[in-house]
Amino acid sequence: MTEQTSTSGPSTFDAGLALKQARAYLAFGEQIRQFTDRMSETINDQTDKGEALHPYFAEIKAAITRSAENPNINPELAQFWLLIAETWCETAASLGMGTEAISDELRQSEAWRSYQSTQSEYLSLLEGAARDALDRMEQRLNELANTGKTITSLRELYNLWVDCNEETYGQMLRKPTYAAINGQLINSLLRCYQRQDTSS
Amino acid sequence: MIGLTSKQIAAEIEAFSARLTQGSRTLSRLGDIESGVSPRDAIYQEDKLTLYRYQPRVENPHPVPLLIVYALVNRPYMMDLQEDRSMIRGLLNAGLDVYLIDWGYPDASDRTLTLADYIYRYMDRCVDILSERHGVDTINLLGVCQGGALSLCFAALYPEKIRNLVTMVTPVDFNTPDNILSHLIRYIDVDLLVDTFGNLPGQMLNFAFLSLSPFRLAGQKYVDLTDVFDDIQALKNFLRMEKWIFDSPDQAGEAFRQFAKDFFQQNKLIKGEVVIGDQRVDLHEVAMPVLNVYATQDHLVPPAASKALADCCGSQDYSEFSFQGGHIGIYVSARAQREVPPAIAKWLLAR
Repeated sequence: MTEQTSTSGPSTFDAGLALKQARAYLAFGEQIRQFTDRMSETINDQTDKGEALHPYFAEIKAAITRSAENPNINPELAQFWLLIAETWCETAASLGMGTEAISDELRQSEAWRSYQSTQSEYLSLLEGAARDALDRMEQRLNELANTGKTITSLRELYNLWVDCNEETYGQMLRKPTYAAINGQLINSLLRCYQRQDTSS
Repeated sequence: MIGLTSKQIAAEIEAFSARLTQGSRTLSRLGDIESGVSPRDAIYQEDKLTLYRYQPRVENPHPVPLLIVYALVNRPYMMDLQEDRSMIRGLLNAGLDVYLIDWGYPDASDRTLTLADYIYRYMDRCVDILSERHGVDTINLLGVCQGGALSLCFAALYPEKIRNLVTMVTPVDFNTPDNILSHLIRYIDVDLLVDTFGNLPGQMLNFAFLSLSPFRLAGQKYVDLTDVFDDIQALKNFLRMEKWIFDSPDQAGEAFRQFAKDFFQQNKLIKGEVVIGDQRVDLHEVAMPVLNVYATQDHLVPPAASKALADCCGSQDYSEFSFQGGHIGIYVSARAQREVPPAIAKWLLAR
């Protein structure tokens, strides 16, 4: 019996995920547009562009810290650096451990508190990597300025932002602290499952 | 520095939005996405396993069959993704008679399957079927990634059944400093994981792989997708790959427990301490000719993890093939098609 080539429709593609990232890119563009508007108001030919850039990066870093405390404060910004945390929450939800799906009993348990606390530690690590990425991006832009090169498209800037985030995230990933917290995150979620199973 | 004006950015955003709109139209009339292109026949089935024979592409294929053992993680159609990206097609074109074990999708009834079941029962049965079918005492074995580790175990336990062994992007030393998967699994309570879920859910594997490079794999990739929205072929290629990435079978619980603990956490394979059923796996028993294929930029199985085989297997005829690329590129890149199947075939045909 010869088997035919297996097929699947394009519906198997998670268009929602792609669209979400496309919207995130548009939001990135909008933030950069506002940023360049303000830059052009304050910078003239005599301004040291590196120094002029610094307050804006400091501002974004402060906004990241605020969005770590409450992602709703600046959802456009939060969706960039919280990408993997969001993916983790979606994974947990797909396994039946979304925040809406859990029982009140679990919500009040030590297991859930421990999971929440580990999640906070995990977010702190991600926040640190995101801020480090901005430092790196600022440094790269200054290096570009010193060589007389300029970034001439939004996509180029976005790609630089991605590169910087991948670098600092990758460094974080390889540290023992991250491995420990990542392990605790999974283990504490599993204890919530066991708790939920026991109580149901 | 940033030589962008607000007007330029607005124009770029507008063009991007237009491409998105066009893309959703293109997606809706794209039709089916084919994956797995080479005709094949199912010659044996047992539980979730199917043993396939790919239809030869030469009149008289090599008399010794080649059995491909893919990883339990992800699906094997990566080896035969599309017409111009098919490692299997390359091996067939070189005159080999190619078989493949498809492990299928384990479900709750498979949670008690152990590595002993996979090796002594499933792999051994497939090897015997091929030996009988072709009237030979020994066959050629090609293990891919985790399937390579399983193949090493098999070859060590049944050296008399294997003529030549090819390992491809196969971890042997799981404790090299650059092994990110071992680093991340170190603190995970594997017993708790398996005891809780039974089988390891495929979604957790998806998360683990995405978390290695989230800004590229879950962000930039989709932004870049808009660049090919007007190219049906490129879009289909993207969707085919996307399907494969997220097509992650659950892992049979007990087999995962042993693989995660003994191989990843305790690095027992290279130490000669892995025990399958009641038999210890001694890689010195792997005395048949071995070709070890690794990728220089492999982020999942670093070259050092694969190359460790040189010092611990018993083969007097050990060779390496180094591919300049990554863990996925070694299956699907254009260079891989030109280099890898011909190299494997040449090596096998000479033995």
